[in-house]
Amino acid sequence: MKLLGAVIILVRALVVLFLVTFMITVLVRLLPGDPVDTLMPFATDEGREQLRSELGLNINIVQYYFRWLGDFVRGDFGQWYASTGDGGGVPIGQMLGVALPRSLFLMFYTMVFSLTLALPIGIFLGYRADTRIDRTLSNAMFALSSIPSFALGLSLVYILGLRLDLLPVLGYVPFTESPGEHFKSMVLPVLSLSVGLIAGFSRLLRVDTIATLREDFVTMASSKGLSNGWILWRHVLRPSSATLMTSAALQMGGLIGGAVVIEIIFALNGFGMLLNTAIVTRQYLAIQSLVALIAVAFIFFNLVVNVLYAVVDPRVRSARG
Amino acid sequence: MAKQRRRPLGLILSTGWLSLCLLAAVLGDLLPLPAWNNFDFDNLSAPIFTNGHWLGTDPDGADLLSGLVHGARVSLGISFVSVLAGSIIGGFLGVLAAYRRGWIDAVITMYFNVSLAIPIIVLTLVMVAIFSTPKFDGSSGGLPREMILVISLTLVLVPILGLLARSSALSWSGRDFVMVAESIGMKKRAILWIHIVPNVLPAMMSIAFLAAGIVIVVEGGLAILGAGAAPGASWGSMLAKNQSYFTIDAYPTLVPAAVIALTVMALNYFGDYFRTVIDDRESRI
Repeated sequence: MKLLGAVIILVRALVVLFLVTFMITVLVRLLPGDPVDTLMPFATDEGREQLRSELGLNINIVQYYFRWLGDFVRGDFGQWYASTGDGGGVPIGQMLGVALPRSLFLMFYTMVFSLTLALPIGIFLGYRADTRIDRTLSNAMFALSSIPSFALGLSLVYILGLRLDLLPVLGYVPFTESPGEHFKSMVLPVLSLSVGLIAGFSRLLRVDTIATLREDFVTMASSKGLSNGWILWRHVLRPSSATLMTSAALQMGGLIGGAVVIEIIFALNGFGMLLNTAIVTRQYLAIQSLVALIAVAFIFFNLVVNVLYAVVDPRVRSARG
Repeated sequence: MAKQRRRPLGLILSTGWLSLCLLAAVLGDLLPLPAWNNFDFDNLSAPIFTNGHWLGTDPDGADLLSGLVHGARVSLGISFVSVLAGSIIGGFLGVLAAYRRGWIDAVITMYFNVSLAIPIIVLTLVMVAIFSTPKFDGSSGGLPREMILVISLTLVLVPILGLLARSSALSWSGRDFVMVAESIGMKKRAILWIHIVPNVLPAMMSIAFLAAGIVIVVEGGLAILGAGAAPGASWGSMLAKNQSYFTIDAYPTLVPAAVIALTVMALNYFGDYFRTVIDDRESRI
């Protein structure tokens, strides 16, 4: 029974993947203008013909989709075309090698930072539910989480970067070059993205904590004389974190590419920036492969959550199986 | 002491702010302000309370207050139209899926899930690119910019609002009074209109406020990426236009940023407040 459930989840994820990549193929086809004129305005007839066949303009969309999919699965994401024509360009995989680590660092730091703060805050607010401090903090965080990340980012740049001159406001420093500078360059973007997440996460955890605290095993634990801190961390946190984890996983998928505005404001030149450039300059293959990668990441993190559910909360395991 | 339901301070502030924005959007033309796209070259980057410019001007000499007033019309207009259209289409699809079940439900739900696998901002960017045919002068041919934004944002909102409408309709159709209605031989279509749709609507209302906030944020993001409304026309594009001067003169960027933040805050608060009111009501049904 358990295996069957896992297979169903996997098959469903694969179907969504197929459909989403096909939808992207259709969307890219719908982009106005002749791709050949846009990508290689100065190409020779020969070059134009070659580009036509590379972009699958001479075959029907389904054939083209499966050809692209074959390449994509093998890790060949296509070319980033140079406007001079004659088929010159850079492999998209090579550009990803530069852009993707930056976005992954950004996502990783944002997640670690947000969860590190959200876990204690959420548990604490749930424990002190409906007290004055809960109401004050909850309202403050609700207000903070409503501030769009770009507005927050710009304000932080103004205060911490321009007025106090504490942190660099633009650019990315690779970790291998200088770890100190690397962290410094990430502080403002991570803060801009984290504030909303911390508020959202602790809100979810607060609600679930309140529900868990009503359960018998908590009464049992406290009647055994265990300390409140111990009960909260060892008994309450795990069963209360299911919703939080789903949300965190979805956000992880969303941060790759979805953080494009923050990447632009702070000139991080990551994945989102690459995708935006691809859209603006009509890099047909790049748009298709990059958006597909985002969808893959999103669906992957979704799957991970489904697996993690069972690990974190044994009740899910028994209920399903 | 019985707990009286007081009007919370947040509700008063949110209502006040949103009414102010709405008034500005509707009555903006009647205010004695310079035109939003009129550049006063004698007063570049004027500070606040400069004669003739209550909130000062941006580095191009455009009056900030009239920019905000005009921006309210564009930003709130885009937000209102796309959320309304998205709610109608999404609500229809969602309720249809929950009502018919079977393969129709499977297809619609799959469409929603597929769309949601791509971040909102990315999908909107692609949509905007599809609907705009760039000309060499950079303006988009055919449709006006605001129209393109509305269409793109509507298409992006449909799955979000639709999924919510579906789950709400599903939970209502499992309630006792629906079973009673079925057992006394009421037609399925009548049950849908009399018992399910009126109960799904409040949930849609509360989500619509959140969606309006999302639209304003996404519109701002698109503007920063260069895919928003015409320069200076909406709050987002005001911010984006002045952002290039940020290190020299941050004020004209921070003002629209603050207005966007306050509006989203108010909209989120409204959505949240409606949610609790509805939960209260539903627990009594």
